[in-house]
Amino acid sequence: MAAVDASSASAVLDAAPRARRAWARKLGLYIPAGLVGFVMVACFIGPLVLPIPAPVGGNVLDSGLPAFSPGHLLGTDPNGNDIFSRILHGGRASLIVTIAVNVLGLAVGGLLGALSAYIGGAVDTVIMRVLDVLIAFPSLVLTLAVAQSLGPSLTNTILALAFFSVPAVARVARAATLSLRELPFMTAAELAGTPWWRMLLRHIAPNIAPQLITFAMLGMGIVIVIEGALSFLGLGIPAPNPSWGNMISEGQASLSATPGLVIWPSLALFITVLAFNLLGEALRTQWSVR
Amino acid sequence: MGQGLEESVTLAVERRNRNVMTSLLASPSLRLVGKRLLMAVPITIGVSILTFWVLNLIPGSAAQQLLGAEATPEQIRALEEQMGLNRPAYIRYLDWLGGAVQGDLGRSYVSGQPVADQLGERLVVSAELVGLALVCSLALAVPVALLAAYRPNRLFDRISMFVSVTGLSIANYVLALVLVLVFAVQLAMFPAIGYVPFAENPVENLRSMALPAAAIAFPLFCFYTRFLRGDLVDQMQGQDYIVTAQAKGIGPWQVLLRHAFRNSSFGLITVVGLNLSTLIGATVIIESIFAIPGLGQLMLQAINTRDVMVVQACVIVFAVVTVLANLVTDLLYAVLDPRIRYGSS
Repeated sequence: MAAVDASSASAVLDAAPRARRAWARKLGLYIPAGLVGFVMVACFIGPLVLPIPAPVGGNVLDSGLPAFSPGHLLGTDPNGNDIFSRILHGGRASLIVTIAVNVLGLAVGGLLGALSAYIGGAVDTVIMRVLDVLIAFPSLVLTLAVAQSLGPSLTNTILALAFFSVPAVARVARAATLSLRELPFMTAAELAGTPWWRMLLRHIAPNIAPQLITFAMLGMGIVIVIEGALSFLGLGIPAPNPSWGNMISEGQASLSATPGLVIWPSLALFITVLAFNLLGEALRTQWSVR
Repeated sequence: MGQGLEESVTLAVERRNRNVMTSLLASPSLRLVGKRLLMAVPITIGVSILTFWVLNLIPGSAAQQLLGAEATPEQIRALEEQMGLNRPAYIRYLDWLGGAVQGDLGRSYVSGQPVADQLGERLVVSAELVGLALVCSLALAVPVALLAAYRPNRLFDRISMFVSVTGLSIANYVLALVLVLVFAVQLAMFPAIGYVPFAENPVENLRSMALPAAAIAFPLFCFYTRFLRGDLVDQMQGQDYIVTAQAKGIGPWQVLLRHAFRNSSFGLITVVGLNLSTLIGATVIIESIFAIPGLGQLMLQAINTRDVMVVQACVIVFAVVTVLANLVTDLLYAVLDPRIRYGSS
């Protein structure tokens, strides 16, 4: 009886920290997920429902208003545009680019990597050598050249960045597929006469998805920063349309006089990147991907 | 009897030496070097073809940029002919490749200077920037990671992890502007922009490099700290050799430094090597913010003036550095870790 009591007592004692740890892990997942959701809603739905002025075409008479001015929560920039509105609209542009780049990168890179590993042999070698060339390239450098050659615009920014997210995703997908290839269920599926496309969609894709999605979450943070860098250097979203990168770049000129022009978009960028990074980390622990 | 023993010892030593020689020559790591060096050549050529092709897509030639917006089409055509820009792209590429193989990177379309001269000056500046950032970040990251891993999940560990996760989310150009705002504008401790050559004034040189190097080094520090701390904790928990060391009665710091850190340093080396190409991308932006006359700034200017020769040379330098860094990483790995036998069996 005493023994039973002791073991149940220790079970209770054990359960408390374990439950707390489970809670902590859940919070670690929900808080960044909520933050990502909040940023998405603010940038995509916010401008539609909030009573804020247009991000461009402001009145020069309203230029350089300080924060908390009537009608302009964060003040206005030298062109008289509302900064809060520009941050929301700029965030929309940044998020569209980032999501599109990652979706493109996942689709093309994932397919290339998985196919490369699944088929193997000469096809694998050729695809991997081509990707080696792309990886040997400092990505920002060629992105600059591509952005310059295509001209600054939303679509071209997406294409230029997607071009460089493909090889990294392909490598991850290839490595993940290679480790699957020898598993018994793959052999069983193959012996059952499953066609290659069905192998890819029904057997490989679901199994490499955790790795790819974790990678993509961390990639979101990277792409949003690089998109900002492109816009910062004048090769991303063209002015007067806002993006966090070109807002920071424009504010740089009057950094000492009006630091707010740099600080607000930087803060938005930081919070968004942090949310994506934390979400990526939490998913990685959740799915125990290394 | 005594002589015989000595003889056998020399024989044994000789045989061992011979074995060392032959095994070194046939060693998989040496073969790996050869293989990797051979592979680096097509990669570099591929990179140069890609650059040439992409730059060729950019509308407007160097001639047009030189003459300005008011130039007539005839003038542009004449200058293009003079500069040899009217020839087909592949001829121009082969021409460039022929020169490049012999060490001649051509002349800048804009300044007329040999590209190699410009490149040399700029490379030193960028190398100093990257070197400073790398040394500072590693010098800070290693002790912080060791302290954090000494007692995982305690206060110091939590603070350092919080700082590094937060720091990783700050874009380097944002960090650069914040540093300028605080240390150059508010405190006036360092110059906001500009560069002083080391030979001219070493102190001023370091002062002008402090903020740009810090802007590159801080995210690196965060990255290395997080990586090394994670790896150390993984080693310390449940690795057999750690349990053995602890069972022998070796002190906790000794175990961490002499046993776990030795193993984790392999991972750190790999990460540093692989990260070098991201670092190069960072220099492009940081150099343009701080007006530092490095390779990145040169390339950005050259892209804007369609100076294909200069861009090509910069990209090649970047690519070669990346490929070499990967090669050196692999080699260090093979040299430091006796278990690694690439391509053997």
